[in-house]
Amino acid sequence: MKLAGLKSIENAHDESVWAATWVPATTSRPALLLTGSLDETVKLWKPDELHLERTNTGHCLGVVAVAAHPSGIIAASASLDSFVRVFDVDTNASIATLEAPPSEVWQMQFDPKGTTLAVAGGGSASVKLWDTATWKLIASLSVPRPEGPKPSDKNSSKKFVLSVSWSPDGRRLACGSMDGTISVFDVARAKFLHHLEGHFMPVRSLVYSPIDPRVLFSASDDAHVHMYDAEGKSMITAMSGHAGWVLSVDASPDGSAIATGSSDRTVRLWDLNMRAAVQTMSNHADQVWGVAFRPPGGTGVRAGRLASVSDDKSISLYDYS
Amino acid sequence: MSKTQEKEEDEEFRAQLTHLEESVEDHPEDPSLRFNLGLLLWEKGGQFKEFKEKAAEHFVISAKLNPHNAAAFAYLGHYYSRFTADSQRALKCYERAITLNPDDSESGESLCDMLDHSGKETLEQAVCGEASEKSPRAFWAFRRLGYLHLHHRRWSEAVQSLQHAIRGYPTCADLWEALGLAYQRLGMFTAATKSYGRAIELDDTRVFALVESGNIFLMIGSFRKGVEQFQRALEISPQNVSANYGLASGLLGLSKECMNLGAFKWGASLLEDAGKVAEVNGQLAGNVSCIWKLHGDIQLTYAKCFPWTKGDHSAEFDVDTFEASIFSWKQTCHLAAMSAKRSYQRALHLVPWQANLYIDIGITLDLISSMNENYGLDLYPWQLSEKMALGGLSLEGDNYEFWLALGCLSGHNAMKQHALIRGLQLDVSSAVAWSYLGKLYREEDEKKLARQAFDCARSVDPSLALPWAGMAADANAREPTTDEAFESCLRAVQIFPLAEFQVGLAKLALLSGNLASSQVLGAIQQAVLRGPQYPESHHLKGLVCEARSEYEAAVASYKLARCAINISPGTASNAHLRDIAVNLARSLCRAGYAADAVEECKYLRKEGVLDAEGIQIYAFSLWQLGKCDLALSLARDLVSSASSLEKTSAAVSVSFFCRLLYYISGLDSAISSILKMPRELFENSKFSFILSTIHALDQSNRLESVVSTSRYFIVSHEDVTGMHCLIALSKLVKHGSDSCLGYQDGISYLKKALHKYPNSKLMRNLLSHLLLSTEEGEHTHVASRCCIIDSSYYGSKVGLKSGWELLGAGSVACYAIGNKDPKFSFPTCGYQCMKGPGAIRELQKYLRQEPWNHNARYLLILNILQKAREERFPRQLCVILKKLLSVALSNELYSRESFSYQYQKFQLLLCLSEISLQCGNQSDCIEHARRSVSLCIPNNYRFFGHLLLCRAYAVEENFVNLQEEYIRCLEIKTDYHIGLICLKIMESQYYIETDSNISELSFKDCLKEWKNSWNMWAAVFNLVLGLISIWNEDFLSAEAFLSQACLLAGTDSCLFLCHGAICMELAKMSSSYQILSFAIRSLTKANTNSIIPLPIVSLLMAQAEGSLGSKQKWERNLRLEWYSWPPEMRPAELFFQMHLLARRSEVQIDSSSNVEFCQSPLKWILRSIHTNPSCLRYWKVLQKITE
Repeated sequence: MKLAGLKSIENAHDESVWAATWVPATTSRPALLLTGSLDETVKLWKPDELHLERTNTGHCLGVVAVAAHPSGIIAASASLDSFVRVFDVDTNASIATLEAPPSEVWQMQFDPKGTTLAVAGGGSASVKLWDTATWKLIASLSVPRPEGPKPSDKNSSKKFVLSVSWSPDGRRLACGSMDGTISVFDVARAKFLHHLEGHFMPVRSLVYSPIDPRVLFSASDDAHVHMYDAEGKSMITAMSGHAGWVLSVDASPDGSAIATGSSDRTVRLWDLNMRAAVQTMSNHADQVWGVAFRPPGGTGVRAGRLASVSDDKSISLYDYS
Repeated sequence: MSKTQEKEEDEEFRAQLTHLEESVEDHPEDPSLRFNLGLLLWEKGGQFKEFKEKAAEHFVISAKLNPHNAAAFAYLGHYYSRFTADSQRALKCYERAITLNPDDSESGESLCDMLDHSGKETLEQAVCGEASEKSPRAFWAFRRLGYLHLHHRRWSEAVQSLQHAIRGYPTCADLWEALGLAYQRLGMFTAATKSYGRAIELDDTRVFALVESGNIFLMIGSFRKGVEQFQRALEISPQNVSANYGLASGLLGLSKECMNLGAFKWGASLLEDAGKVAEVNGQLAGNVSCIWKLHGDIQLTYAKCFPWTKGDHSAEFDVDTFEASIFSWKQTCHLAAMSAKRSYQRALHLVPWQANLYIDIGITLDLISSMNENYGLDLYPWQLSEKMALGGLSLEGDNYEFWLALGCLSGHNAMKQHALIRGLQLDVSSAVAWSYLGKLYREEDEKKLARQAFDCARSVDPSLALPWAGMAADANAREPTTDEAFESCLRAVQIFPLAEFQVGLAKLALLSGNLASSQVLGAIQQAVLRGPQYPESHHLKGLVCEARSEYEAAVASYKLARCAINISPGTASNAHLRDIAVNLARSLCRAGYAADAVEECKYLRKEGVLDAEGIQIYAFSLWQLGKCDLALSLARDLVSSASSLEKTSAAVSVSFFCRLLYYISGLDSAISSILKMPRELFENSKFSFILSTIHALDQSNRLESVVSTSRYFIVSHEDVTGMHCLIALSKLVKHGSDSCLGYQDGISYLKKALHKYPNSKLMRNLLSHLLLSTEEGEHTHVASRCCIIDSSYYGSKVGLKSGWELLGAGSVACYAIGNKDPKFSFPTCGYQCMKGPGAIRELQKYLRQEPWNHNARYLLILNILQKAREERFPRQLCVILKKLLSVALSNELYSRESFSYQYQKFQLLLCLSEISLQCGNQSDCIEHARRSVSLCIPNNYRFFGHLLLCRAYAVEENFVNLQEEYIRCLEIKTDYHIGLICLKIMESQYYIETDSNISELSFKDCLKEWKNSWNMWAAVFNLVLGLISIWNEDFLSAEAFLSQACLLAGTDSCLFLCHGAICMELAKMSSSYQILSFAIRSLTKANTNSIIPLPIVSLLMAQAEGSLGSKQKWERNLRLEWYSWPPEMRPAELFFQMHLLARRSEVQIDSSSNVEFCQSPLKWILRSIHTNPSCLRYWKVLQKITE
């Protein structure tokens, strides 16, 4: 289990790169890397040479999140002005523009079947679910507030929802908040199940294990990565090692490792059996906002790939084996 | 330490040990011996454990024997804690030691450290509290307690403990630092900075203290001090994030201060520094959102304040460079704004739950979109900036500032109003909200609501600029108009130098006539720096410059304005372009570029927008270029269209035409065309002046009727007095002969007119001027009385000459300076010119007010010379004069050809020459006089130069040259009697060989030209002839001359005195009664004519009366003589005469009140001898008396 640097592109964007995800391979092309940046563009890169496929413009503010449909045909990008642009990956044709009140779009993810797009609703303290066929809002999963819902309450910002993740079976949805709590929802019933506690600072990234729908990994500003039993409402383990905020976490397709990016400018690879960091990549010169493992699939591609994006405007690609 | 020493010590130790051991064995119950033994073993026994163990044994025994020995317990505590690690026992021992001796800091510290390590903080605090309560000298306990309180944020308790601890450890920097922190948290900032300062003083590497005191300075607004502290902190620790942050925000604060003052360039350079610091800091700590926010703030401020620079100043000006400079300026601002936007986004990305960052982004977006050309044209239903503001509100809906921001950022008036009112609901005393609401209502044309809102805003916070500006903009709606608006706008500009306000200020200044004020200039200059792309700002700057007579600058600004219009197409109307072109033409014309002005006008004509003003400029420039025909034909067109114009501008056009016509084709054609014009054009005061002037020059009075009708339209006080002056001047012209103006008519007219307007400075000064200008100078004493001196600078330029100049000239023209000090002379002038000595003071004031004014210095020199002459050239006055003269003569004005300068130079050289002569420096005198006669001036004046040369040669006894100069004087002649009289005296004094009739003849010639005062001068001439006769001891002819003189000038007491004296002399020789009676008559007249009693007169009277035998009259006159002398000047002879009087009165004692009785005759004699000891006569009398 190790990472090896393959390719690094300096100044991939004009400004900090804030978001990265892989667009799964289709029959006609391999998987592509999708990145979003403060320079208001979204770029598509073709591995392994990280050849720039296309630059999508159109956002008025920095792009904070990107998400790819499991089919690999469409993808979405969201910027600070709370517009979500859904577009065709191959043609860049706009499919839909989803508008939300400002501050109410952060991380987003398509559900594994590709029927729903979940968007972390930021200041609304909820997760919005959009139907991918009609591009209509179908549900809003609210995080319950301890004091009861009072719109003008100062504490509303405590439950600011930053991150969201689908379980691999698509039944559960977890979202991370600014106060460090993680809320788990039953998607089918659109019901809040419980909180997962343990973090005391914002949870900026969440990911379910691809092989086990109960296991959830979380990355938080308190410099820890937690592993939860999301159904059992309990923390399995906490892993420390980063010297700064952990900004991003992703699980490897085989489920045996996770990678994290941090504001201490490193990317770490964690062995889940040893529950410890096995490798630290410090090739970035500024904080690492995103890490993403390439999903399996596609013709003739077996090798694992990890991409990381950073405030230093660069993108790095690693071989994971 | 050498080995031997060691050995010695060891031996000593052994010896002491054995000694003590023996003593202990002898007295096993003595605790102090035990303790001493233990101490010896502990201290001297080295680190060997067996010694320590032994020592501990002894301490234990000692403590058992004497349980009050704190030291023993302390040592036991040390032993248990360090050598046996038996912390329980150690704790107990220490506790015991401290209970016994609370001042023991070593035990205390050790105990507390142990408690601290084991986490027993409460116990630790209890121990310290107990110790501190027990003993005020337990400083260690206070220190611990202070730190503990600080740790638990009990600030006020911490302050007390720390203050106490500092008494024990006054040089402990930690304590001072801790105290500073406690004060800071309590909000006692001054005390905090002092404590931090002390900590830094004790240890100058205290980064914490430096940073925190810097933060306090920033908080209380003294950015400069704060920046200093942060810079010091960064010297020690360059990577310190909070120091960097503080430095950047300090610089930001400083630059904001600069910009509120209007110093944009300075502020921008500070911001550049701040931006660099913030960027470095962002790299040091990239995930701290407030650093990015600060960077954003800095960049946003930079974008808002970066001033435009005109580019390369030396380069020739053209549209391209202007456009390039505008472009690069815009680019810089835009880049800064973009950078701000990115930094705010970074901050927001890090902490998306912070509502204010949404607002910041919204504001930045608004700024960026306002920089685009088509701002405000495309109103999307859902502006991004507005949306971001809503983002802030959705997170924090109860923040009135966010509502305010929404109100500003929204593009919909209804939304704006809603947001502002919502903000006001949350905080009713928000002046900003009120003023924006006012602005909104103004835009909606709800004047009344707007004013109410602005009034509210001002009553809440009068130091806010916007309501003042709003008031100013509102002024048109109300009647008490532009001046008030100007004041309001000025206040707005002073509070906040915003380009929009400044342009508004300049516009209001244009309306209210304040364009020339330097506040307006400063404002519009700043406006140009911040809004170079607006033609309006350049145009207004041009107008301001023009109003301040800086035509070159005005021309440059107008050109820039035109460029600005050209590069931003579509925004400017044709009318605007025309205005600029007309203004440009006028400025060019005034700056002296007639040809360029003509080009401008041609262009205007081609465009077909040449209006009346433009035509005037055109014609005037053409005339200046010498194209008179074209100019005239243009002007004719102008007049022919005048009837269609509005009344005042028609009058202006017509007057322009008349003046032009007069200058080009002369008086007659001007008059004839005036007579052809329709009468209704004359109904204007300005034109009436022009008519009157032309009328004044016309000897045949063709315009009589026209002028008299047009004068009905002169109404204002100023115009009326001006017209009176003009009429007076016209009298001069009309009633004067070819060689001489009709001064008398002018004077009498003015005197009459002055009855109506006694306070008109213009008229008084003109009268004074005319009085001085009359050739014979008989009114000079009145002249200086009737002029008005206005000490305020701006007022002094009314009329042809200022009051000061008239006063100075008048007092020089009056020969008698009116010196009241009888030491120098007894004034006999009947006119009593009172301003004499005051004039020098007034002229000094004049020179002080206008040190550059050569006239002031010139007049002062002449006046001082007058004074010096009267006081017989005292040394100090000569020195002063020389200095003044050297300064005056070094003035380069005097190298000019113009007559007035040459004349002044001539006078100054004569002065210098005179002073040199009086100081006994003949060679200088001759040199200066030679220089003076070499100047190009009329003979009339040059005569005096030669006269001075005569005098100098006479003093040198160089009779050949004297003769030569004398002849030259006779040759060139002069009209001035005084010169001829002086010449006459020279002639007689130095026996110059000459035909003496020449000078007398020329004098007679001279007299004929003077009508009013010839007899005075004839009398003086006779006086001189008489004097000459006396010098020649020809008393009879002298008497004849003098009696002639008395006949000619019947009022001068001086002449009568001379005549009386010569009669007495003759009487002495011939002892004729008739002569004596002549003498008495003359002397009586001398007495009656003079204003003050002249000395000698009464004495001579006494002698004359005495000789006629009237002792009574002799006595009376002698007594009068006593009083006619000032006390300090009484001569010896007077005392002697008093002695005579006293002796006579001794015989018949009747009236003891007379003056002679105050002393005995002997005393009188003594006093006369005392005054003049060289006179034998007095001594003889003295001898006689004492015998």
